[in-house]
Amino acid sequence: MSLRTMGQAAVTMNQLQHQMDMIGHNLANSQTTGYKSRQAEFSNLLTQQINNMSNPDNAINRVTPDGIRIGTGARLGAIHNNLSLGSMQKTGRDLDTMLLNENHFYQIMVDGETHYTRDGAFYLQPVNNGAEVVLVTQDGYPVNGVNGPIQFEGNFDAIQIDRNGAVIVRRGDQNVLAGTIAVAQIERPRSLEAVGDNLFRIPQNFTDNGLVQQAPLDGSLIESGSLEMSNVSIQEQMTQLINAQRSYQFNSRTISMADQMQGLVNQLR
Amino acid sequence: MLRGFYTAASGMIAQQRQQEILSNNIANANTPGYQADQAVLRSFPELLLQQMGSKNIPTENGLKIPENRVIGGLTTGVYAQEAIPNFAQGDIRETGIFTDMALVEGLKPDETGGIFFTVQNNEGEIRYTRNGHFTVDAEGYLTTNEGYYVLNQAGNPIQTNGLDFTVTPEGGVQAAGLNTQLGLAYIADVQDLIKGENDLLQLEGDAVAANAYTSGAEFTVQQNYLESSNVNPMQSMTDMIQAYRSFELNQRVLKAYDDSMGKAVNEIARLG
Repeated sequence: MSLRTMGQAAVTMNQLQHQMDMIGHNLANSQTTGYKSRQAEFSNLLTQQINNMSNPDNAINRVTPDGIRIGTGARLGAIHNNLSLGSMQKTGRDLDTMLLNENHFYQIMVDGETHYTRDGAFYLQPVNNGAEVVLVTQDGYPVNGVNGPIQFEGNFDAIQIDRNGAVIVRRGDQNVLAGTIAVAQIERPRSLEAVGDNLFRIPQNFTDNGLVQQAPLDGSLIESGSLEMSNVSIQEQMTQLINAQRSYQFNSRTISMADQMQGLVNQLR
Repeated sequence: MLRGFYTAASGMIAQQRQQEILSNNIANANTPGYQADQAVLRSFPELLLQQMGSKNIPTENGLKIPENRVIGGLTTGVYAQEAIPNFAQGDIRETGIFTDMALVEGLKPDETGGIFFTVQNNEGEIRYTRNGHFTVDAEGYLTTNEGYYVLNQAGNPIQTNGLDFTVTPEGGVQAAGLNTQLGLAYIADVQDLIKGENDLLQLEGDAVAANAYTSGAEFTVQQNYLESSNVNPMQSMTDMIQAYRSFELNQRVLKAYDDSMGKAVNEIARLG
Protein backbone atom coordinates (compact mmCIF):
# COMPACT_ATOMS: atom_id res chain seq x y z
CA MET A 1 0.00 0.00 0.00
CA SER A 2 2.38 2.66 1.14
CA LEU A 3 4.81 1.11 -1.23
CA ARG A 4 3.21 2.86 -4.19
CA THR A 5 3.95 6.23 -2.64
CA MET A 6 7.48 5.17 -1.83
CA GLY A 7 7.98 3.75 -5.31
CA GLN A 8 6.83 6.95 -7.01
CA ALA A 9 9.20 9.02 -4.92
CA ALA A 10 12.13 6.63 -5.14
CA VAL A 11 11.90 6.34 -8.94
CA THR A 12 11.67 10.08 -9.29
CA MET A 13 14.61 10.68 -6.97
CA ASN A 14 16.69 8.35 -9.06
CA GLN A 15 15.75 10.31 -12.17
CA LEU A 16 16.45 13.62 -10.45
CA GLN A 17 19.85 12.22 -9.63
CA HIS A 18 20.39 11.67 -13.35
CA GLN A 19 19.40 15.26 -13.99
CA MET A 20 21.89 16.44 -11.39
CA ASP A 21 24.57 14.26 -13.00
CA MET A 22 23.80 15.91 -16.31
CA ILE A 23 23.96 19.40 -14.79
CA GLY A 24 27.24 18.49 -13.11
CA HIS A 25 28.60 17.39 -16.46
CA ASN A 26 27.53 20.65 -18.05
CA LEU A 27 29.08 22.72 -15.26
CA ALA A 28 32.31 20.74 -15.45
CA ASN A 29 32.46 21.53 -19.15
CA SER A 30 31.58 25.20 -18.90
CA GLN A 31 35.11 26.04 -20.07
CA THR A 32 35.51 23.26 -22.65
CA THR A 33 36.05 24.58 -26.15
CA GLY A 34 33.18 23.73 -28.49
CA TYR A 35 31.22 21.88 -25.80
CA LYS A 36 27.47 21.71 -26.35
CA SER A 37 25.25 21.98 -23.33
CA ARG A 38 22.97 19.01 -22.67
CA GLN A 39 19.45 19.25 -21.48
CA ALA A 40 16.56 16.97 -20.71
CA GLU A 41 13.01 17.35 -19.48
CA PHE A 42 10.85 15.05 -17.41
CA SER A 43 7.80 13.14 -18.50
CA ASN A 44 5.44 11.10 -16.42
CA LEU A 45 5.57 7.35 -16.14
CA LEU A 46 2.86 4.75 -16.47
CA THR A 47 -0.54 5.53 -15.07
CA GLN A 48 -2.31 2.80 -13.19
CA GLN A 49 -6.03 2.48 -13.53
CA ILE A 50 -7.70 1.32 -10.34
CA ASN A 51 -11.28 0.24 -10.70
CA ASN A 52 -12.71 0.96 -7.31
CA MET A 53 -16.36 0.87 -6.26
CA SER A 54 -17.85 -0.49 -9.44
CA ASN A 55 -21.42 -0.21 -8.18
CA PRO A 56 -23.33 2.02 -10.68
CA ASP A 57 -24.65 4.19 -7.83
CA ASN A 58 -21.14 5.31 -7.16
CA ALA A 59 -20.90 6.83 -10.61
CA ILE A 60 -23.37 9.52 -9.63
CA ASN A 61 -21.87 13.00 -9.57
CA ARG A 62 -18.59 11.84 -10.98
CA VAL A 63 -16.64 14.28 -13.13
CA THR A 64 -14.12 11.95 -14.71
CA PRO A 65 -14.43 8.57 -16.45
CA ASP A 66 -14.73 5.51 -14.22
CA GLY A 67 -11.96 4.40 -11.92
CA ILE A 68 -9.03 6.19 -10.39
CA ARG A 69 -5.87 6.79 -12.33
CA ILE A 70 -2.73 7.11 -10.30
CA GLY A 71 0.62 7.82 -11.85
CA THR A 72 3.82 6.09 -10.89
CA GLY A 73 6.28 8.96 -10.81
CA ALA A 74 8.36 10.78 -13.39
CA ARG A 75 11.32 10.01 -15.50
CA LEU A 76 13.93 11.98 -17.34
CA GLY A 77 13.41 11.96 -21.10
CA ALA A 78 16.09 11.72 -23.75
CA ILE A 79 19.07 14.03 -23.40
CA HIS A 80 19.52 16.50 -26.23
CA ASN A 81 22.47 18.61 -27.12
CA ASN A 82 21.75 22.29 -27.29
CA LEU A 83 23.56 23.02 -30.55
CA SER A 84 23.35 26.79 -30.40
CA LEU A 85 26.56 28.64 -31.17
CA GLY A 86 28.88 29.35 -28.25
CA SER A 87 30.45 32.75 -27.87
CA MET A 88 33.64 33.53 -29.76
CA GLN A 89 36.88 33.94 -27.91
CA LYS A 90 39.77 35.64 -29.68
CA THR A 91 43.02 33.84 -29.02
CA GLY A 92 45.18 35.12 -31.87
CA ARG A 93 46.71 31.67 -32.26
CA ASP A 94 47.10 30.63 -35.89
CA LEU A 95 45.74 27.12 -35.43
CA ASP A 96 42.70 28.02 -33.34
CA THR A 97 39.54 27.97 -35.41
CA MET A 98 35.85 28.41 -34.84
CA LEU A 99 33.04 27.07 -37.00
CA LEU A 100 30.51 29.76 -37.77
CA ASN A 101 27.47 27.60 -38.48
CA GLU A 102 25.61 25.56 -35.90
CA ASN A 103 25.39 22.37 -37.94
CA HIS A 104 28.97 22.28 -39.20
CA PHE A 105 31.52 19.88 -37.74
CA TYR A 106 35.16 18.97 -38.18
CA GLN A 107 35.80 15.36 -39.10
CA ILE A 108 38.36 13.49 -37.05
CA MET A 109 39.70 10.00 -37.69
CA VAL A 110 39.69 7.97 -34.47
CA ASP A 111 40.86 4.38 -34.92
CA GLY A 112 39.61 4.28 -38.50
CA GLU A 113 36.17 5.67 -37.65
CA THR A 114 35.00 9.16 -38.51
CA HIS A 115 34.02 11.28 -35.53
CA TYR A 116 32.74 14.82 -35.49
CA THR A 117 33.69 17.69 -33.24
CA ARG A 118 33.23 21.43 -32.84
CA ASP A 119 36.52 21.82 -31.01
CA GLY A 120 38.74 23.84 -33.35
CA ALA A 121 41.96 24.03 -31.31
CA PHE A 122 44.41 22.28 -33.64
CA TYR A 123 48.05 21.39 -33.35
CA LEU A 124 50.82 20.15 -35.60
CA GLN A 125 52.35 16.77 -34.94
CA PRO A 126 55.64 15.70 -36.51
CA VAL A 127 55.57 12.54 -38.61
CA ASN A 128 58.18 10.72 -40.77
CA ASN A 129 61.02 11.48 -38.29
CA GLY A 130 60.12 15.13 -38.12
CA ALA A 131 60.34 15.79 -41.85
CA GLU A 132 56.61 16.45 -42.14
CA VAL A 133 53.87 17.60 -39.86
CA VAL A 134 50.19 16.68 -39.73
CA LEU A 135 47.27 18.74 -38.43
CA VAL A 136 45.77 17.05 -35.35
CA THR A 137 43.35 17.78 -32.52
CA GLN A 138 44.56 18.25 -28.98
CA ASP A 139 44.19 14.50 -28.43
CA GLY A 140 46.43 13.80 -31.40
CA TYR A 141 43.80 12.55 -33.83
CA PRO A 142 44.36 13.68 -37.43
CA VAL A 143 41.91 16.20 -38.86
CA ASN A 144 40.32 15.14 -42.12
CA GLY A 145 41.11 17.27 -45.10
CA VAL A 146 39.30 17.24 -48.40
CA ASN A 147 41.97 14.81 -49.65
CA GLY A 148 42.82 12.81 -46.54
CA PRO A 149 44.89 14.05 -43.58
CA ILE A 150 46.52 17.46 -43.91
CA GLN A 151 50.19 16.63 -44.02
CA PHE A 152 52.98 18.91 -45.25
CA GLU A 153 56.69 19.73 -44.90
CA GLY A 154 57.58 21.05 -41.50
CA ASN A 155 59.84 23.98 -42.44
CA PHE A 156 57.73 27.08 -42.97
CA ASP A 157 57.69 30.67 -41.80
CA ALA A 158 53.99 31.16 -41.16
CA ILE A 159 50.72 29.22 -41.32
CA GLN A 160 47.15 30.39 -41.60
CA ILE A 161 43.71 28.88 -42.06
CA ASP A 162 41.36 30.86 -44.26
CA ARG A 163 37.59 31.20 -44.02
CA ASN A 164 37.01 28.21 -46.31
CA GLY A 165 39.28 25.94 -44.30
CA ALA A 166 42.30 26.12 -46.61
CA VAL A 167 45.57 25.68 -44.71
CA ILE A 168 48.07 28.06 -46.30
CA VAL A 169 51.77 27.83 -45.48
CA ARG A 170 54.27 30.59 -46.25
CA ARG A 171 57.85 29.72 -47.09
CA GLY A 172 59.96 32.78 -47.81
CA ASP A 173 57.69 34.89 -49.98
CA GLN A 174 55.73 31.97 -51.39
CA ASN A 175 52.27 30.93 -50.19
CA VAL A 176 51.56 27.23 -50.61
CA LEU A 177 48.21 25.50 -50.14
CA ALA A 178 48.99 22.61 -47.82
CA GLY A 179 45.47 21.20 -47.72
CA THR A 180 41.88 22.09 -46.98
CA ILE A 181 40.04 21.14 -43.82
CA ALA A 182 36.89 19.20 -44.70
CA VAL A 183 33.90 20.75 -42.96
CA ALA A 184 30.91 18.44 -42.71
CA GLN A 185 27.42 19.84 -42.74
CA ILE A 186 25.08 17.59 -40.78
CA GLU A 187 21.49 18.05 -41.77
CA ARG A 188 19.99 16.65 -38.58
CA PRO A 189 22.60 17.27 -35.91
CA ARG A 190 20.30 15.87 -33.24
CA SER A 191 20.90 12.37 -34.55
CA LEU A 192 24.55 12.58 -33.50
CA GLU A 193 25.67 10.52 -30.56
CA ALA A 194 28.18 11.88 -28.03
CA VAL A 195 31.14 9.55 -27.51
CA GLY A 196 33.27 11.51 -25.04
CA ASP A 197 36.42 13.57 -25.63
CA ASN A 198 34.20 16.28 -27.08
CA LEU A 199 33.46 14.02 -30.06
CA PHE A 200 30.26 12.91 -31.74
CA ARG A 201 29.55 10.11 -34.15
CA ILE A 202 26.76 8.84 -36.34
CA PRO A 203 24.94 6.10 -34.42
CA GLN A 204 25.81 2.59 -35.52
CA ASN A 205 23.40 0.80 -37.88
CA PHE A 206 22.31 4.19 -39.12
CA THR A 207 21.85 4.21 -42.84
CA ASP A 208 21.01 7.59 -44.19
CA ASN A 209 23.41 8.80 -46.77
CA GLY A 210 22.03 12.30 -47.00
CA LEU A 211 22.85 13.04 -43.37
CA VAL A 212 26.43 14.21 -43.83
CA GLN A 213 27.27 16.57 -46.63
CA GLN A 214 30.20 18.68 -47.60
CA ALA A 215 29.63 22.23 -46.38
CA PRO A 216 29.44 24.67 -49.31
CA LEU A 217 32.56 26.81 -49.51
CA ASP A 218 30.93 30.20 -49.19
CA GLY A 219 33.85 31.95 -47.50
CA SER A 220 32.17 32.07 -44.10
CA LEU A 221 32.85 28.64 -42.65
CA ILE A 222 35.73 29.22 -40.29
CA GLU A 223 37.08 32.07 -38.25
CA SER A 224 40.72 31.49 -37.41
CA GLY A 225 42.52 32.95 -34.41
CA SER A 226 39.38 32.31 -32.35
CA LEU A 227 37.82 29.50 -30.38
CA GLU A 228 34.18 28.67 -29.78
CA MET A 229 33.48 28.76 -26.08
CA SER A 230 31.21 26.26 -24.38
CA ASN A 231 27.57 27.29 -24.69
CA VAL A 232 26.80 26.28 -21.09
CA SER A 233 25.14 29.06 -19.18
CA ILE A 234 26.38 28.68 -15.62
CA GLN A 235 23.57 30.77 -14.14
CA GLU A 236 20.94 28.65 -15.84
CA GLN A 237 22.62 25.41 -14.79
CA MET A 238 22.90 26.55 -11.18
CA THR A 239 19.22 27.47 -11.14
CA GLN A 240 18.33 24.06 -12.53
CA LEU A 241 20.59 22.41 -9.99
CA ILE A 242 18.90 24.17 -7.08
CA ASN A 243 15.51 23.26 -8.49
CA ALA A 244 16.52 19.61 -8.91
CA GLN A 245 17.92 19.48 -5.41
CA ARG A 246 14.75 20.90 -3.91
CA SER A 247 12.64 18.44 -5.88
CA TYR A 248 14.87 15.73 -4.52
CA GLN A 249 14.13 16.94 -1.01
CA PHE A 250 10.41 17.07 -1.71
CA ASN A 251 10.43 13.47 -2.84
CA SER A 252 12.48 12.34 0.11
CA ARG A 253 9.91 13.99 2.38
CA THR A 254 7.30 11.89 0.60
CA ILE A 255 9.23 8.76 1.47
CA SER A 256 9.64 9.67 5.11
CA MET A 257 5.95 10.50 5.33
CA ALA A 258 5.02 7.14 3.80
CA ASP A 259 7.40 5.53 6.27
CA GLN A 260 5.67 7.22 9.19
CA MET A 261 2.32 6.10 7.85
CA GLN A 262 3.55 2.54 7.78
CA GLY A 263 4.76 3.04 11.31
CA LEU A 264 1.26 4.08 12.33
CA VAL A 265 -0.12 0.93 10.74
CA ASN A 266 2.39 -1.11 12.68
CA GLN A 267 1.32 0.48 15.93
CA LEU A 268 -2.18 -0.85 15.44
CA ARG A 269 -1.16 -4.10 16.96
CA MET B 1 -19.88 -5.58 16.43
CA LEU B 2 -18.58 -2.07 16.61
CA ARG B 3 -19.55 -0.34 13.39
CA GLY B 4 -16.93 2.36 13.53
CA PHE B 5 -14.15 -0.18 13.35
CA TYR B 6 -14.32 -0.43 9.60
CA THR B 7 -15.22 3.22 9.21
CA ALA B 8 -11.90 4.18 10.73
CA ALA B 9 -10.09 1.64 8.56
CA SER B 10 -11.75 2.99 5.42
CA GLY B 11 -10.63 6.47 6.46
CA MET B 12 -7.05 5.26 6.59
CA ILE B 13 -7.30 3.64 3.17
CA ALA B 14 -8.82 6.77 1.64
CA GLN B 15 -6.09 8.99 3.06
CA GLN B 16 -3.55 6.54 1.74
CA ARG B 17 -4.99 6.95 -1.77
CA GLN B 18 -4.94 10.68 -1.31
CA GLN B 19 -1.29 10.44 -0.34
CA GLU B 20 -0.49 8.38 -3.44
CA ILE B 21 -2.09 11.00 -5.67
CA LEU B 22 -0.24 13.82 -3.92
CA SER B 23 3.11 12.08 -4.06
CA ASN B 24 2.66 11.51 -7.78
CA ASN B 25 1.99 15.22 -8.16
CA ILE B 26 5.19 16.05 -6.32
CA ALA B 27 7.09 13.55 -8.44
CA ASN B 28 5.83 15.34 -11.55
CA ALA B 29 6.49 18.88 -10.35
CA ASN B 30 9.13 19.17 -13.10
CA THR B 31 7.22 17.48 -15.93
CA PRO B 32 6.25 19.99 -18.64
CA GLY B 33 2.54 20.16 -19.32
CA TYR B 34 1.63 17.91 -16.38
CA GLN B 35 -1.82 18.34 -14.84
CA ALA B 36 -1.96 17.99 -11.07
CA ASP B 37 -4.50 15.45 -9.84
CA GLN B 38 -6.84 16.20 -7.03
CA ALA B 39 -8.43 13.43 -5.00
CA VAL B 40 -12.12 13.55 -4.28
CA LEU B 41 -13.27 11.67 -1.20
CA ARG B 42 -16.80 10.42 -0.93
CA SER B 43 -18.65 8.79 1.90
CA PHE B 44 -20.04 5.30 1.51
CA PRO B 45 -23.74 5.11 0.64
CA GLU B 46 -25.89 5.88 3.64
CA LEU B 47 -27.33 3.21 5.90
CA LEU B 48 -30.70 3.84 7.43
CA LEU B 49 -30.68 2.94 11.09
CA GLN B 50 -33.92 1.81 12.55
CA GLN B 51 -34.61 0.93 16.13
CA MET B 52 -36.51 -2.32 16.41
CA GLY B 53 -37.70 -3.07 19.88
CA SER B 54 -40.64 -3.03 22.19
CA LYS B 55 -41.78 -1.04 25.11
CA ASN B 56 -42.93 -2.59 28.33
CA ILE B 57 -46.09 -1.12 29.74
CA PRO B 58 -46.20 -1.86 33.45
CA THR B 59 -49.62 -3.46 33.62
CA GLU B 60 -50.68 -6.63 35.33
CA ASN B 61 -50.20 -8.79 32.28
CA GLY B 62 -46.97 -7.16 31.21
CA LEU B 63 -48.14 -5.51 27.97
CA LYS B 64 -45.52 -5.03 25.29
CA ILE B 65 -45.93 -2.51 22.52
CA PRO B 66 -43.70 -3.04 19.51
CA GLU B 67 -41.72 0.06 18.72
CA ASN B 68 -40.07 0.85 15.37
CA ARG B 69 -38.34 4.16 15.19
CA VAL B 70 -36.13 5.59 12.52
CA ILE B 71 -32.90 6.83 14.07
CA GLY B 72 -31.35 8.37 10.99
CA GLY B 73 -28.79 7.87 8.31
CA LEU B 74 -25.28 6.66 8.94
CA THR B 75 -22.47 6.33 6.51
CA THR B 76 -20.03 3.62 7.30
CA GLY B 77 -16.89 4.89 5.73
CA VAL B 78 -15.19 6.97 3.09
CA TYR B 79 -13.33 6.19 -0.12
CA ALA B 80 -11.35 8.04 -2.74
CA GLN B 81 -13.87 8.31 -5.52
CA GLU B 82 -11.85 9.90 -8.27
CA ALA B 83 -8.70 11.79 -9.12
CA ILE B 84 -9.63 14.92 -11.03
CA PRO B 85 -6.83 16.42 -13.12
CA ASN B 86 -6.53 20.16 -12.94
CA PHE B 87 -6.28 21.43 -16.50
CA ALA B 88 -5.41 24.99 -15.56
CA GLN B 89 -2.71 26.64 -17.62
CA GLY B 90 0.79 26.08 -16.22
CA ASP B 91 3.47 28.75 -16.15
CA ILE B 92 5.26 29.40 -19.40
CA ARG B 93 9.03 29.38 -19.29
CA GLU B 94 11.57 30.10 -21.97
CA THR B 95 13.99 27.33 -22.92
CA GLY B 96 15.51 28.76 -26.09
CA ILE B 97 15.14 25.45 -27.90
CA PHE B 98 13.31 25.75 -31.19
CA THR B 99 11.56 22.40 -30.87
CA ASP B 100 9.93 23.37 -27.57
CA MET B 101 6.39 24.65 -27.86
CA ALA B 102 3.90 25.89 -25.34
CA LEU B 103 0.16 26.20 -25.84
CA VAL B 104 -1.32 29.30 -24.29
CA GLU B 105 -5.07 29.23 -24.04
CA GLY B 106 -7.23 32.27 -24.41
CA LEU B 107 -11.00 32.53 -24.38
CA LYS B 108 -12.77 29.26 -25.09
CA PRO B 109 -16.36 28.56 -26.13
CA ASP B 110 -16.79 26.18 -23.17
CA GLU B 111 -15.58 26.84 -19.69
CA THR B 112 -14.39 23.26 -19.47
CA GLY B 113 -12.66 23.28 -22.85
CA GLY B 114 -9.00 22.74 -23.54
CA ILE B 115 -6.52 22.75 -26.41
CA PHE B 116 -4.02 19.97 -26.97
CA PHE B 117 -1.31 18.82 -29.34
CA THR B 118 -2.22 15.66 -31.21
CA VAL B 119 0.32 12.87 -31.38
CA GLN B 120 0.26 9.31 -32.59
CA ASN B 121 1.27 6.50 -30.27
CA ASN B 122 3.07 3.30 -31.21
CA GLU B 123 -0.21 1.58 -32.11
CA GLY B 124 -1.10 4.38 -34.52
CA GLU B 125 -3.84 5.75 -32.28
CA ILE B 126 -4.45 9.44 -31.72
CA ARG B 127 -3.47 10.80 -28.34
CA TYR B 128 -3.42 14.29 -26.89
CA THR B 129 -0.76 16.04 -24.85
CA ARG B 130 0.19 19.39 -23.40
CA ASN B 131 3.85 18.49 -23.06
CA GLY B 132 5.40 20.47 -25.92
CA HIS B 133 8.95 19.28 -25.34
CA PHE B 134 9.39 17.95 -28.86
CA THR B 135 12.41 16.89 -30.82
CA VAL B 136 13.32 15.93 -34.36
CA ASP B 137 14.09 12.26 -34.83
CA ALA B 138 16.83 10.75 -36.97
CA GLU B 139 14.50 10.65 -39.97
CA GLY B 140 13.62 14.30 -39.62
CA TYR B 141 10.11 13.92 -38.20
CA LEU B 142 8.87 16.07 -35.36
CA THR B 143 8.30 13.76 -32.41
CA THR B 144 7.63 13.96 -28.71
CA ASN B 145 10.34 13.25 -26.20
CA GLU B 146 9.28 9.60 -26.26
CA GLY B 147 9.47 9.36 -30.04
CA TYR B 148 5.75 9.57 -30.83
CA TYR B 149 4.97 11.47 -34.03
CA VAL B 150 3.50 14.92 -33.61
CA LEU B 151 0.72 15.20 -36.15
CA ASN B 152 -0.31 18.05 -38.39
CA GLN B 153 -3.88 19.11 -38.97
CA ALA B 154 -4.30 16.48 -41.69
CA GLY B 155 -3.25 13.76 -39.26
CA ASN B 156 0.16 13.07 -40.77
CA PRO B 157 3.61 13.23 -39.15
CA ILE B 158 5.48 16.49 -39.77
CA GLN B 159 8.66 16.09 -41.83
CA THR B 160 10.99 18.97 -40.93
CA ASN B 161 13.98 17.86 -43.04
CA GLY B 162 16.07 18.58 -39.98
CA LEU B 163 16.21 22.26 -40.71
CA ASP B 164 15.32 25.05 -38.41
CA PHE B 165 11.66 25.82 -38.60
CA THR B 166 9.43 28.53 -37.33
CA VAL B 167 6.19 27.99 -35.50
CA THR B 168 3.82 30.88 -35.86
CA PRO B 169 1.60 31.89 -32.93
CA GLU B 170 -1.34 30.59 -35.00
CA GLY B 171 0.15 27.08 -35.09
CA GLY B 172 1.75 27.09 -38.54
CA VAL B 173 5.03 25.24 -38.99
CA GLN B 174 7.16 26.91 -41.59
CA ALA B 175 10.57 26.25 -43.11
CA ALA B 176 12.07 26.06 -46.57
CA GLY B 177 9.76 23.69 -48.45
CA LEU B 178 7.56 23.16 -45.41
CA ASN B 179 4.32 24.87 -44.62
CA THR B 180 1.86 22.98 -42.51
CA GLN B 181 -0.22 23.42 -39.42
CA LEU B 182 0.28 21.73 -36.09
CA GLY B 183 -2.53 19.34 -35.31
CA LEU B 184 -4.32 21.04 -32.47
CA ALA B 185 -7.42 19.53 -30.93
CA TYR B 186 -10.13 21.27 -29.01
CA ILE B 187 -11.84 19.19 -26.36
CA ALA B 188 -15.06 20.64 -25.05
CA ASP B 189 -14.90 18.87 -21.70
CA VAL B 190 -11.35 18.15 -20.63
CA GLN B 191 -12.55 15.84 -17.88
CA ASP B 192 -13.40 13.29 -20.59
CA LEU B 193 -9.68 12.74 -20.99
CA ILE B 194 -8.01 9.73 -19.47
CA LYS B 195 -4.40 9.98 -18.42
CA GLY B 196 -2.15 7.38 -19.95
CA GLU B 197 1.58 6.79 -20.01
CA ASN B 198 4.21 9.33 -21.02
CA ASP B 199 2.06 12.46 -20.77
CA LEU B 200 -0.43 11.13 -23.30
CA LEU B 201 -4.13 11.71 -22.81
CA GLN B 202 -6.86 9.68 -24.40
CA LEU B 203 -10.45 10.58 -25.02
CA GLU B 204 -12.93 8.23 -23.40
CA GLY B 205 -13.93 5.56 -25.90
CA ASP B 206 -11.38 6.89 -28.42
CA ALA B 207 -13.74 9.65 -29.51
CA VAL B 208 -12.31 12.14 -32.00
CA ALA B 209 -11.67 15.67 -30.79
CA ALA B 210 -12.74 18.81 -32.61
CA ASN B 211 -10.42 20.92 -34.70
CA ALA B 212 -9.01 23.72 -32.56
CA TYR B 213 -8.70 26.13 -35.51
CA THR B 214 -12.40 26.08 -36.28
CA SER B 215 -13.64 25.68 -32.70
CA GLY B 216 -13.67 29.38 -31.98
CA ALA B 217 -11.22 28.98 -29.11
CA GLU B 218 -8.42 31.50 -28.80
CA PHE B 219 -4.91 30.23 -28.38
CA THR B 220 -1.32 30.95 -29.25
CA VAL B 221 1.55 28.55 -29.80
CA GLN B 222 4.84 29.83 -28.43
CA GLN B 223 7.98 28.41 -29.90
CA ASN B 224 11.10 28.23 -27.66
CA TYR B 225 8.87 27.99 -24.61
CA LEU B 226 7.52 25.18 -22.47
CA GLU B 227 4.49 25.01 -20.25
CA SER B 228 5.56 24.02 -16.75
CA SER B 229 3.76 21.50 -14.63
CA ASN B 230 0.86 23.13 -12.81
CA VAL B 231 1.73 21.35 -9.56
CA ASN B 232 2.21 23.75 -6.70
CA PRO B 233 4.76 22.03 -4.43
CA MET B 234 3.87 24.16 -1.41
CA GLN B 235 0.21 23.33 -1.76
CA SER B 236 0.99 19.64 -2.33
CA MET B 237 3.20 19.48 0.74
CA THR B 238 0.53 21.11 2.87
CA ASP B 239 -2.10 18.71 1.55
CA MET B 240 0.24 15.85 2.23
CA ILE B 241 0.74 16.85 5.85
CA GLN B 242 -3.00 17.17 6.19
CA ALA B 243 -3.59 13.74 4.66
CA TYR B 244 -0.95 12.33 6.97
CA ARG B 245 -2.57 13.79 10.08
CA SER B 246 -5.96 12.63 8.96
CA PHE B 247 -4.51 9.15 8.50
CA GLU B 248 -3.09 9.38 12.01
CA LEU B 249 -6.43 10.48 13.44
CA ASN B 250 -8.17 7.51 11.89
CA GLN B 251 -5.47 5.27 13.26
CA ARG B 252 -6.11 6.66 16.76
CA VAL B 253 -9.83 6.02 16.39
CA LEU B 254 -9.11 2.49 15.27
CA LYS B 255 -6.93 1.96 18.32
CA ALA B 256 -9.64 3.32 20.56
CA TYR B 257 -12.04 0.79 19.10
CA ASP B 258 -9.43 -1.87 19.61
CA ASP B 259 -9.19 -0.91 23.28
CA SER B 260 -12.95 -1.18 23.63
CA MET B 261 -12.89 -4.56 21.99
CA GLY B 262 -10.09 -5.59 24.29
CA LYS B 263 -12.15 -4.60 27.28
CA ALA B 264 -15.16 -6.46 25.94
CA VAL B 265 -13.16 -9.59 25.42
CA ASN B 266 -11.02 -9.59 28.53
CA GLU B 267 -12.82 -7.67 31.24
CA ILE B 268 -16.58 -8.01 30.82
CA ALA B 269 -16.60 -11.72 31.29
CA ARG B 270 -13.90 -11.85 33.93
CA LEU B 271 -14.85 -13.95 36.91
CA GLY B 272 -13.88 -12.87 40.34
